[in-house]
Amino acid sequence: MKRMIKTENLEKVYRTEEVQTKALNHVSLTVEQGEFVAIMGPSGCGKSTLLNLLGLLDEPDGGSLQLLGTETSRYSERQRAELRKRSLGFVFQSFNLIDELTVFENVELPLRYLGVGAAERRQRVEQVLEKMQLLHRRNHFPLQLSGGQQQRVAVARAVVNAPPLLLADEPTGNLDSASGHDVLGLLTELNETGTTVLMVTHSEHDARYARRVIRLLDGQVVLENSRNQF
Amino acid sequence: MLPYPLLLLYRNFKRFKSTFFINLIGLSTGLAGALLIYLWISDERSFDRYHALDGRLYQVLENRRTAAGIETQGGTMPLLAEALRREMPEIELVATTTPVPFFPGFTLVAGGQHLDAAPKYADPAFFQLFSYPLLVGTPATVLRDKNGIVLSEALATKLFRSPQNSLGKAVEWQMADLKQTCLVAGVFAGVPRNSSEQFDCVLPFASFKDLMHMNETIKWDDEGPFNTYLALKEGADPAQFQAKLAGLLKTKSAQAQAQGRTLFVRPFAAGYLHGTYENGVATGGRITYVRLLALIAGLILVIASINFMNLFTAKASRRVKEVGIRKALGASRAALVGQYLTESVVMALLALVVAVGLVQLVLPQFSELTGKPLVLRWEPQLVGAGLALALGTGLLAGSYPAFYLSGFQPAAVLKGKLPTKAGDVWTRQGLVVLQFTLSVLFIVAVVVVNAQLAFVQHQPLGYDKAHVLRFETAGRAARQQAAFLAEVKKLPGVVQASTVLGGFLGGRHVEEMSWRGKRLPVGTMLVNYDLLETMGLHLVAGRSFAPQFRADSAAIIVNQALVAGLGMPDPVGQQLDGARIVGVVRDFHYESLHEKIKPLLLKLDPTINTVLAKLQPGAEQATIARLQQLYAAYSPGFPLDYTFLDADYQAQYVAERRVAVLARYFAGLAILISALGLLGLAAFTAERRRKEIGIRKALGASELGIVWLLTSSLTWLVVVAIVLALPLSYLLMERWLEGFAYRVAWQWWYFAAAGLGALLIAWLTVSVQAWRAARRNPVLSLRAE
Repeated sequence: MKRMIKTENLEKVYRTEEVQTKALNHVSLTVEQGEFVAIMGPSGCGKSTLLNLLGLLDEPDGGSLQLLGTETSRYSERQRAELRKRSLGFVFQSFNLIDELTVFENVELPLRYLGVGAAERRQRVEQVLEKMQLLHRRNHFPLQLSGGQQQRVAVARAVVNAPPLLLADEPTGNLDSASGHDVLGLLTELNETGTTVLMVTHSEHDARYARRVIRLLDGQVVLENSRNQF
Repeated sequence: MLPYPLLLLYRNFKRFKSTFFINLIGLSTGLAGALLIYLWISDERSFDRYHALDGRLYQVLENRRTAAGIETQGGTMPLLAEALRREMPEIELVATTTPVPFFPGFTLVAGGQHLDAAPKYADPAFFQLFSYPLLVGTPATVLRDKNGIVLSEALATKLFRSPQNSLGKAVEWQMADLKQTCLVAGVFAGVPRNSSEQFDCVLPFASFKDLMHMNETIKWDDEGPFNTYLALKEGADPAQFQAKLAGLLKTKSAQAQAQGRTLFVRPFAAGYLHGTYENGVATGGRITYVRLLALIAGLILVIASINFMNLFTAKASRRVKEVGIRKALGASRAALVGQYLTESVVMALLALVVAVGLVQLVLPQFSELTGKPLVLRWEPQLVGAGLALALGTGLLAGSYPAFYLSGFQPAAVLKGKLPTKAGDVWTRQGLVVLQFTLSVLFIVAVVVVNAQLAFVQHQPLGYDKAHVLRFETAGRAARQQAAFLAEVKKLPGVVQASTVLGGFLGGRHVEEMSWRGKRLPVGTMLVNYDLLETMGLHLVAGRSFAPQFRADSAAIIVNQALVAGLGMPDPVGQQLDGARIVGVVRDFHYESLHEKIKPLLLKLDPTINTVLAKLQPGAEQATIARLQQLYAAYSPGFPLDYTFLDADYQAQYVAERRVAVLARYFAGLAILISALGLLGLAAFTAERRRKEIGIRKALGASELGIVWLLTSSLTWLVVVAIVLALPLSYLLMERWLEGFAYRVAWQWWYFAAAGLGALLIAWLTVSVQAWRAARRNPVLSLRAE
């Protein structure tokens, strides 16, 4: 099995003029290919910070971060962008769809950045929208959709380029329970077809969909256990 | 389906309509201004460039050392062309011509028709040197026959119905008391508008030499008023030729060498824009205005671009989330920079389309304003310039927002919050300050230019320019000039009349004179009896010329500048270069106020032909009718073309008047665009501080207090701009005023008016938004949060 993520003593510090806050304190963890891992912890424990670092959306202040077997902590902005577009998919709590783009255009965006041709883009977007049961909504704008539908669009966008690693930050946080259940079902389905999923959540219910849970408190890993250990 | 960048622009437009329109109006008016200036500049640059030999075509100029420094002029002697042809093998063609205008009141008569014409006498090579296509005749031979004349197509058609029909026909020309008959040897198409010289008939220079008996009198020692043009052979080195030419005069005339006269050549086409010399060094000319307007165009575009930058970055907080998302999805910084630059360039191209429409709309007025019939022709050059302007503006306007927005860490902006950096606020405020600095600069320029023009209007000139009619005589009125003038004086409505050579206003032929060892360059004005009385010139000593003093033919009247220049303690009765001074006239401005009043002498010559008649105010039309009757009786068929001296005086300031009007328009444009930007920024500030306003109002702040809260920060920016602009505008306008020997003194209120004007405009703009924000129900603002 291939190692998807490996961090050693990962650190992140936020500084303002007067205060210095250690958001992540020597975090070491590994995630293997094909895993579905949940990161849990109370508000402010550093879950989202960790996810941002793992998704190369932010830079660590110390430690090592390997993604797909490569050390990335010294990557340039260009290298990080390259890795993001080829290998990572993101699902956010607030969906983060671009309001000015239609459903189709939002989902198509990662393929544009990969330089995929128009015909292939169309085919792949339609395929994934169909799978998410959103094809009939392709020309709608995000604000014309329900929260559940918006999150399904976000999942579609995250997986349209078939990334090996999917990062989800509180994906059900803004959804009613039925829609939340749908989205978690989708993530599970993706995981079963080979995508590694790393999900940040503070919901015990959501965490049950994962096969392993990493618990954070005050920027440190305090507990790791697999599903059968809940 | 729209292309992707257009689609994004369209959706952004829908989301931020007012910003879109502010940007569109700002960029399109800025581009329209720049395009108009481009049209004007390219027309200026096209002058004299249409000749086939352009690039090898030169004019010979002469530097002369005088007491006042080196004087440069285009006047040369006709012996020069002959010598150049013989001695300089690198010359392909050379010709002497009379300058234009040289002959006032030149009339062509044929078949009972009298037509005013602008003649030029030229050597046979003229039509080979210059590309004035001949409809009849061949370039090499058309000026060979001394009795020939080459007419413009328009003249030939008027006189003989068609160019072909005119060949060999007799035409008589008349000028003052001279007349001669010649035969039409050729017809040329005419002189294009973008020629620095306008003429409509060309005669052989050889006939002019005969007429003036020049062959017997000209020598190398003389200074000549004629122009010499030449074309170098292909491959000839202009620098080497220049070196040879510089040494030519001293081999011909010891006197010329002693006077420090040297020759040099200037590319013919350069003369139009680079015609001014100071102390022998080229100092510019019309190119100054070309550069000034190019600078104005650039500044207007900068102001318009700043709007775009400011509004784009101001609304960035609404777009940063998008930046975060795109980055998370793998967009590189370069891709984002590309996207935003594309957006701004597309915006600029859209603005270009609107700008072209605006240009079409105002082009007739702009043409009138600039005195050029400009047209928008879809030539590759214009299209290229338009696209380059739009592209440059788009990139300039888009560069800051593009690099600003794309530089954020995705994690920091994904939550939609804009990380506030002090530097960004400073940059945005700095840009507003820059905009208003430029606007205040324009306002000061408008105020100063107009003040100077008013000064020019009201400056005592030393003579009375009102109700003075000027015209040239021809025919019998010229031949019997004294009788004609006597009858003019008797006409009811004519207060007084006299004649002067060429005209009352303008530079004079200058010669160096000496008195008791002191040397001084002195201008000469040839005048008739009663000139002082006609023009209201004041004598400060001595008397005017009068027929009862027979010796007055060798007498002169001098101005105070001459007396002061030579330091004469008691000038009346003194001899100056063989002439006796009989009177001293108070200094008067015979040149424009650009020039200091220079030493001048008035010399009596009752034969000269430019009539000046002082009319009784109120009865001008009736008096002119009587004059026309009298003139028709003397010179039947000859048109009486007159101008008022007042109009001639105003004509000296055509360039300044145009600058004044243009400055007014472009200042208006700059202020409009800046105010638009401020409006957008104020709207944005009000929006961003909505919650703060709500809280303040809930805590009891008054509406006026909220208005002050929102306007005060922008007021300070404008105040800083004013403080920066005032010294800068002083320096710039001081340089412009230095071009006038007589000029307004600086007034404190010029700056006060400009500063207050800018402040008032800024306040009006911002308070509209501030009031709207202040009157909003605080409950709504707080609930929205």
